Formats: sequence, structure tokens, C-alpha cells
Amino acid sequence: MRRYLRLAIVLPLAMGSLSASALDLFEERLRIHGFASQAVVDTSDNQYFGDSTGTSFDFTELGLNASYRFTPRILLSSQVLVRRAGDMYDGTPSIDYALADITASSTSEARFGARLGRIKNPLGLYNETRDVPFTRPGIFLPQVIYYDKVRNLVLSSDGVMFFGETYGEAGTLSLNLGVGQPIIDDNAEWTYLGDDFEGRLEPRDPTWIANLWIASPTERLRAGLGVVASSLSYDAFESSFLESGSIGFINTILSLQYNDEQWTLSAEYSRMPLEWKEFGPVFPFSKQTTEGYYLQGAYRPRPNLELSLRYEEGFADRNDRDGSRSSALTGGLTPPFDFYSKIWTAGLRWDVKPNLMLRFEYQRHAGTFALSIRENPDPSDLVKHWDAFAASISVRF
Amino acid sequence: MKGLACFVFLLGLASAGAQELIVNRSAGVESLTRNEARLYLTMRLKHWPDGTEVRLFVLPDNDALHQHFVNAILGLYPYQLRRVWDRQIFTGTGQAPILVNSREEMLRRVASTPGGLGYTDGLVSNPAVHTIEVQ
Repeated sequence: MRRYLRLAIVLPLAMGSLSASALDLFEERLRIHGFASQAVVDTSDNQYFGDSTGTSFDFTELGLNASYRFTPRILLSSQVLVRRAGDMYDGTPSIDYALADITASSTSEARFGARLGRIKNPLGLYNETRDVPFTRPGIFLPQVIYYDKVRNLVLSSDGVMFFGETYGEAGTLSLNLGVGQPIIDDNAEWTYLGDDFEGRLEPRDPTWIANLWIASPTERLRAGLGVVASSLSYDAFESSFLESGSIGFINTILSLQYNDEQWTLSAEYSRMPLEWKEFGPVFPFSKQTTEGYYLQGAYRPRPNLELSLRYEEGFADRNDRDGSRSSALTGGLTPPFDFYSKIWTAGLRWDVKPNLMLRFEYQRHAGTFALSIRENPDPSDLVKHWDAFAASISVRF
Repeated sequence: MKGLACFVFLLGLASAGAQELIVNRSAGVESLTRNEARLYLTMRLKHWPDGTEVRLFVLPDNDALHQHFVNAILGLYPYQLRRVWDRQIFTGTGQAPILVNSREEMLRRVASTPGGLGYTDGLVSNPAVHTIEVQ
């Protein structure tokens, strides 16, 4: 604990003492940026980003990226991410993205091109930059859309993404279309199979991503539609309780945002039909449609101060919103409230300087669907109504 | 609060000229539409009509001139520009503008950088810099 405390204090200060601007090298063609963030989380019950009932410092984010512009049309870039998030992520560095961004054509009317490599999936308002604290709507993303317990399934993919934008008097229309191999980790197995079984979960087919955004000229109003389709196959070892099977899903996200000087209103809706096939008689689930939505209002009395309020609801199965049928499928082992989450969030953001941000957040939860099974392995320990307090300090350059 | 903001704004107007876009003379640009200005400032357009690379210089987000310029000339708020730049910086799909710390540095960098683009609120007497009309 003490070690983490020291890390929490020293790291941001060390980064904060750096220049506020990026490192610019080779006539400013090579640009280097980074961020560091440390949060403290305390919950009344249940484990959320670490052992939070005893105050957790296990939520740390570090990112370092470099980009090199060869010509106005060709950019190479990569980011390394270190993320500690309770039992979900242990801080092993990972390549967040590594890509070539190629613009085929660019005028004041339109632009199109392609990106190749490991690409962040542009889904919803926040997925692409979900690990950058400065770009998030709070310390915690709206979990019912941007689950942290299984973030990697939609985080990024290795492949190609085509992009096109048109600019007119009426506004901007942009389209992304991509295909690639999703990056998955152990959390997918915990989330979709309920445990870390003897076997391997791997991508089965390529993941397809499409998204469309329309925005007024000053981005006062933005609306988006994103779809991602993917499937995973589970290769069971002989010792596994489960048989080899597959999981398929299609996630659709609708987004709407209004911006003016003092107000930002955001709403998103996600629906994801999910199908488990051939896992054998022991596995209880076959079909579910996960659903989530939220509404968030943010008010800025000053440009560097933001107050926000959010309400969100998420369901493991929209046809079983009180969780009773899903609970019955587990023989009552998992309580009904583990199949939904209803969350109120109140937050304060203070940008002390352009490169230093403080945040405070309070959440009131009903239900535990947003929690990671990996962090809360025993369903009988779960508590239905619980509170979370969090504070964070974030720096960037 | 509003009254104060208004007063500060008027003071800004009284002490200097209106905010204007400035470019390095080599870009050969005389005027831009508001939409074009937004495309250059959001770094979606990365080259001038003659193919020269755009080199954008900006003051910090909390600088009063930056805030006035972004709103008066582009019709945006600083947090919106920041959001667009951050999306590009942290997804590897673009680069951030180059940060300068004063109006003098802004003028000097735009004057000495081919393709340079920035903004000012005073009269520009440097022959290497053009003031651009935004329509």
C-alpha cells in the first residue's frame, strides 16, 4: 500500500515538472506525448478496481506515444500503455496502437484514406481514447456501455480501417469501416464464461467495425452510430468442465451529444445480442441481449471547472431486466441483482493547469453487473446496494 | 460573472484589434471561409492549396487570446478544439498543434516557418506574415 501511495504521489509530480508542451524533435516532425494518472477508490461493499472496500490505489494509467509525419499524407504512430486496474489488469505494458495513417485525398470538401496496423476501434463517444483520463467523462466511464471488466474485446484490432469525411455548410459526415483481428485477454473468459477455465479463448472470425457520425459545423450537435461484430472460439482442454464452443456478438451503439459554452449533454445506447454455442450441458447460458444506456449532463461554470451528473442502466439480458431468470439458470447461486446495474454518478473535474487535472466522483449503485467476476469471484459475497468514492490526479505533456 | 466576462471582453477589444488568423507569406493564402479555417485549426486539412504542409501554432488552452480567437473566429469553444486534437494525439491518427507561450513567439514562429499558421490580436508589421480574412 505504501509503495503504491508513493507511486501515486511521485509519478504525477515528476511528469508535472516536465514542460507542458510535447517533446518536439526533428523539426517538429517527431512528436512525443504522454499522460499519467492515479486514482484512489473506496467502496462500501464489493470490489471495484482493486480491494476497494479497504481503499484501493490499484487504478493507475500511464501512456507514452510517438508520431512521425513523413509528409502531410503519411503519419506513423504508436502508443505504449501501462494500466493497473485491480485484479483485471496488472500493469504489464502493452502496445495500445501502432499504425500507419495514410491520407489518399484531402480538400476543403472531403478527405479519405486508410489506417493499417493496430487501430483503436472508433465506437461511441469514448472508446478510442478510453484510457486517457483527460478525454473521459469521469474517473469511470459509463460502465453499461464501456465495460472495464471486458474492455479488450472492442478496444482495438489488428487490421485495416478505411475512413472518409465530407465537409459542407450543413456540417460534417464521417464514416469508418474496418476489419481485423480483435485483441483479447483473460478478462473475456471471466466475463463471458464466468471463470478462467482450462482452455483457450481466441478470435474465431475477423471483427468488423462500421461507424457513422454526423455533426453540425461547430460540432454543437453530434450523432453517431457504431456497429461491431465479432466471434470467439473456446478451445477446451481435456481437464475443462466445458466443451469447446463459440461465442458470437454484434454490438450496436447510438450516440448523441450537445455542446455549448457551459453545457455538454451526452446520451448513448448500446444493444448487444450474444450467443453461446456448444459449451456442453454444464454451461447455463445460450442467448442474451445485453443492453445499456446513460444520460450525462456536464456544466462548466468556468472553462476549467466541470460539474457532472450521470444516470445509467445496464442489463445482462434485456428480456430479463430484473435478473430473475438468469439467476434461476445458475440455480440461484448468482443473485438476480448481478444481472443488472443502475448507477448514479456525480463528479467534479478541475483542470488546475492545462496539463494537470483533479477529479472527484461519487457513485450510488444498485446491482453488480458492472463489476468484474474476477474481482468478485464469490457471488454470495455480492451486495446489491453500494457506494463508491473516487479521486484522481492526472498529468499530461 | 457574465458582466465580468463582458467587461474583460470589451477591455480586450479596446486594448487591441480584433483577433485574426495569420499565415506565413509562402502559403500564398489571402482569405479563408469559416469552414476552411475550422478544418485547418482542427488539423483535418494538413496542407495548403499549393501542397505546403500546414504548421499550426497555438497558445495554451487557458490563454485569453486563444479563448477569444477560438470563439470569435471559429465559432467553437476551446474545450471542443482540445477534444478534437486529443482524439488525434491519443489514437495516433494525427498530431497536435505546436504550443507557443507568448504572442511574440507566435508571430516569430509563423514568420520563420514555411506553411506556418497562427493568430494574433494586434497589427502585424512583419513582411513575412500575412493577415488572413475569414469570411
